[in-house]
This record gives sequence, structure tokens and C-alpha cells, in this order.
Amino acid sequence: MTLWDLRQGSSAKVSSFKASIESSYRTRLTELGFHPGEQIACVLSPSLGAPKLYQVNNTVYSLDDSIASLIEVA
Amino acid sequence: MSDPSESKIALIGSPNSGKSLLFNRLTGLNQKVANFPGITVDISAGQSLANKSVKYLDFPGVYSLQAISGEEKVAVDAFIRALEEDLIDSVVCVVDSTRLEKGLIFALQVLEACHSYNKPFVIAANMVDVLTQHRMHFDAEGLAEALKVPVLPISAKTSAGLEILPEALAKAPVPSQKFESDIIASDESINHLHAQQLAEQFGPKGDLLINTQTRLDSFFLHSWFGGLSFFVIMYLLFQAIFTWASPVMDGVEATIQWLATAVLPLVPEGMASDFVADALFGGIGAFLVFVPQIFVLTLVVGMLEDSGYLARAAVICHKPLRLFGLTGKSFIPMLSGVACAIPGVYAARTVDSPRKRWLTYLAIPLMPCSARLPVYTLIIAAFIPAQKALGGLVGWQGLAMFGIYLFGIICALLVTAVVSRSNAELRSDLPFVLEMPPYRVPSWGPLLRNAWDRCQHFVTKAGKVIFVVTVVIWLLGYFPNQGASLGDSWLGRMGQWIEPIFAPFGLDWRYGVAILSSFLAREVFVGTLGTMFGIEGAEENFISLAQQIQESGLPLGSGAALLVFFAIALQCVSTLAVLQRETGSWRLPAQLFVSYSILAYGAAILMFHLVEFFA
Repeated sequence: MTLWDLRQGSSAKVSSFKASIESSYRTRLTELGFHPGEQIACVLSPSLGAPKLYQVNNTVYSLDDSIASLIEVA
Repeated sequence: MSDPSESKIALIGSPNSGKSLLFNRLTGLNQKVANFPGITVDISAGQSLANKSVKYLDFPGVYSLQAISGEEKVAVDAFIRALEEDLIDSVVCVVDSTRLEKGLIFALQVLEACHSYNKPFVIAANMVDVLTQHRMHFDAEGLAEALKVPVLPISAKTSAGLEILPEALAKAPVPSQKFESDIIASDESINHLHAQQLAEQFGPKGDLLINTQTRLDSFFLHSWFGGLSFFVIMYLLFQAIFTWASPVMDGVEATIQWLATAVLPLVPEGMASDFVADALFGGIGAFLVFVPQIFVLTLVVGMLEDSGYLARAAVICHKPLRLFGLTGKSFIPMLSGVACAIPGVYAARTVDSPRKRWLTYLAIPLMPCSARLPVYTLIIAAFIPAQKALGGLVGWQGLAMFGIYLFGIICALLVTAVVSRSNAELRSDLPFVLEMPPYRVPSWGPLLRNAWDRCQHFVTKAGKVIFVVTVVIWLLGYFPNQGASLGDSWLGRMGQWIEPIFAPFGLDWRYGVAILSSFLAREVFVGTLGTMFGIEGAEENFISLAQQIQESGLPLGSGAALLVFFAIALQCVSTLAVLQRETGSWRLPAQLFVSYSILAYGAAILMFHLVEFFA
């Protein structure tokens, strides 16, 4: 399952990044707190495919499907 | 920066770490943009309120010293260069203590850089007031001991702990800690593991309740309420430009009239008096009237940004903007473009994808910038009655302004949609990751100062051009027959020669001359027209330019065509120059200038015939 599939109100731990992710983005996501083992909660999933809001370490980020679907969660 | 006895302290931190608020607290409102050699990044400099020999430099917020976007790279390079060339004496890294792990990842990179360049280093752990509020605690002393650098728990909001900052800085050591490997260049995981470990050991325990933020987000990002509030907020923005600014505009106009009646009798009759009346009061005065609107516009956009709403607006706009080949991140540069295309072009550096950034560049010059505002206001005031509809709720002039603004935005989107589709390369997707800052009440002081600075910049920079142009226009219009007949003047003859260019949309040569002069800067249009009408109506009382246009019998279709022409044409030398600097070549600015001029001309003719047909 990827982060994009996470339903509003539920949370999961990051397991890995998909191989296709660019290394500079993997670095940045790790710096922002999206790294394997970290608990991420989907706080808001707006309709019409708008970017979803994820909470990690007391910070809320908005990610769109193109990047959230490259983060595997379990 | 040249005073050797002055101590220069850099403030650096992630976006939303409260760094700028700290800077404002330390320096008061007495700041200016630092004059850093060779860079085009906004670094504010301000003297410390507590100690006159201390100067703080506020570097732009970045997430990491490993830049991934163009804007970050410029900011990081500026910081590294300041370290390298001894432009700063010590460094304060601001971290958000409620999000210590993230802050420490960055702080460790800065610590390592300060170690390499031999600079004293202090961590300011901001927002401890939020921790106290949530009955949480973090061990600043333990962290300081582990890192062997001072860690100061502070709150920029309440000013708590700020009094010990100068002393701590004076005593701050150069970081001695050396990690096993070079962290800036190493794998992110080492740095990250270290930060995680430190945050776990010394950081606050437990989650902050961000329920209020989530509740507000579920409203502002709701599929119905979110979209509706977005439109209401944008609409209020444009109504505000009219309703808040109009009393001040009337005041400015009255002051100019009062000055004219007071000054003119003192000036010797004849040419000198004509010059003062037509070129100074008629030309420059016509342009000064619009400064209050620029003030209100900058203020309201700044307020939206400060409140945290702009980031939500970017989320709302992401999916729709993607249809036009853009990203939600293009929203902020495009909205900045509503104030002025130049900060918009700079803000486009935050669009990390080069292709999306390029498309954003295409859109920005079409965004309705504030230099178009004087032209729009003039034409709208001349044609649309200042009446209210729907029981005083909606002003027709505000509605017309909203309409022409919307037109510019739609043009921008259509252009990017067509260009991104005609080149498949431009359509590839790149990630959208955006931090959602907490909602907060805007801090008025810095916002008012920023709006004031923008107006000052506008008046001094555009004012010079307008002064020169109005003087030239006046000389050409006044001679050789001493203002007896504008039509027989040099300007009149030149104007009649170019009249056929603008005849297809029903404009006479005076408007043609004003349009040509506006290719320097759009707002010159108003000054030029003001000067020409001034020469024509030399002995009359001062009546507003809009009224003069109204009385000159300009057809409605020509007014509409003028609006459309100004909405599209890229008449701004400064924007072209900035685009050249940002893209590194004249190719894009030249292409945009030619294609938008042709598009504007064609659309204006079409508009003229459409309006004249239906009117």
C-alpha cells in the first residue's frame, strides 16, 4: 500500500520508497520526516483528487498523488 | 556592511520556524534589504534594538543546505558565500522546538558549515510558548551539552528568552564537534539518525494537538465550502482595492488639486505655468492618485500569506492548475504577479520543476499586475457608473475590475495550456510537497511596512520614468506653437502619423501616443494622457482625467479594447529585464514580448467590434 492509499483519519508507518523516486526528492522527504519507520497520519483527503494532507512529527504537509504514491506504507 | 566594529549576525532557519518574526523582534521595524554583492536574493538587514553595534541579517528560509529548487540554491549559495567571505561574524540557527527533529536535521548541517568556516554558532529553539501551553518540556541544556553549542529556548511571539541572546552570542564558541563524515555531502540517513536520536533524547515528548488547524483545513479545503471561500476571498480582495483605497485616492486627488491652486498663482504666467500645470500636476499627479491602491493590494496579499491561507489556496489550485500544465506551486508566483510581475518572477524559483517554472514565466506577465491598475481604474471610472447593485452589496466598478482581472488570469491559463500541450516534453509531472503553516493572525507591523516599501519603490522607480516621459511628451506637445493647438504640435504630427495603427479599435492619435509611451511601463499611459489632456484644456479648472475621457466621446468599444490590450501586452521593460536575468537569455523575454503584443492587438480589435456590435 502507498501513502496515497491511506484513508483520512488513519495512519501507517513508512516502509520504503519506490525505486522510481528521484534521489533528491528522497533526500528532501527524509529531511521533512518521511522516512522508513516514521508514523504518518492522513489528516485530510479532499475530494476531486486534490493533494492530501499528512501529519508527521507535528507538521502537516500536502502531497499530491505523483509523490505520495511513491512512498510505501504498512 | 563595511563597518569593521559592527558585529554581523546571520539568522537562518527553515520556512515557518518563526525566523522572520524573531528578526522583527530583534530589530524593530527599522530594516532594509541588505545590499549583498552579486546576488538577487532578499536578505533583510536590521540594527539590533538592544545594541547599536550589532546588525542582524535575515536569510531566506530553506529546508536544507542541500538545495533542490532554484530559489533554495540561490539562498544557500548566498549563506555559504557569506561564511566564506567573512560577511558575517556569527550564526543563529532558528529551529521550531515543537518540531525539533526536523529543525535539528537542518541545524546539524549549519553547525557543520560553521565548524568548517570557523564561525560561532547558536541554536535558538523557538516557540517554547507553544510547548508551555501544552505542558510539554524540552531539555535545552542537555541538547546544548550534547552538541557543545548554546541552545536558547526562546519565543519570538512573546519575546521570552530574547534578552539572553546577545550575551549568549558574545560567548558562543565555534562548534568543535566533528562528525565521522562530512554531513552536508554525506548520505542523508546519518544526519537524520543523529537528529532523530537527539530529538528523542532531549526533545518534547508527545504530539501537539493541531485540531484547530485540521478543523480549519477541513473547511478551507472542503470541495464546496473551500471552493466557495476561495472565490469569496479573491472577490473581496478586489472589492477592497476599490472600497478601502477610494477615500485615500480622493484625498490624494484633492491634495493635488489644492496644491495646484496654491502653487500655480506663484508661477510666472506663460510657459512655466503651463509646464507646472500640465506636466507636473496633470501628468505626475494623475499617476500618484493610484498609489493607495497599490498599498491596499500589497497589504491584502501579504495578509493572506501571513495568515497561512495562501498555502491552502495552492492546494486548492493544484489540481485545476495541473490541467493547464502548471502546479499548485505556480499559484503563489502568479498571485504575486497580481501585485507586480517582478516579485512574481522571483517567486517562481520555488517551482522546483524547471519545466513548470518555465510555464509559470509564461503566465506571470499576463497576470493583472498593479501597474495595469491605474489604466483599468481610469477606463472603468470613465465608462462604468459608480453605482451599487444588489442592495449596495456589489459595486459595478468593482465587478468590472473583477471581470478584467479574471480575463487576464484566463488568458494566462489558456496560454500555458496550449503551450504545455503543444510540447509533450512540458507535460511530465513532478512532485508536489508543500508545508501547511499553522493559521495565525497576521502581524500588521511588518505587513504595513512591506506595503509602504512597495509604494515607495513604485513611486521612486516608476516616478522617474514617468517624470522623464511626461516632460518629453509635454515639450513635444507644447511646441512649436506654445500649446495653442495640440493637434499642430510636434507630438500631434507624430501622433497622426501612427494613428492608423490604433484606428482599428477606434482610438485617436492621443491614445496611440499614450500606448506607445506605455511600452516603457504601463502606468506611463495615465501620465502621458494626463499631460496631453492638460495641454488641451490649459486654462480650465482641474477635472479628473476619467471625466475628460468621458467628455471626449470615446466609444465604449474602444474603452473595452484598451482594457483587453493592456491585459495582454507585455509593456514593462523591468519585467523583460528580470526574465532575462532569471532565464539567462533574451530568448524567452523577446518571444513573450513579440507574441503578447500581437495577441493583444488582435484581441483588442476583436473586442472593439464585439462591443460595438452589441452596444
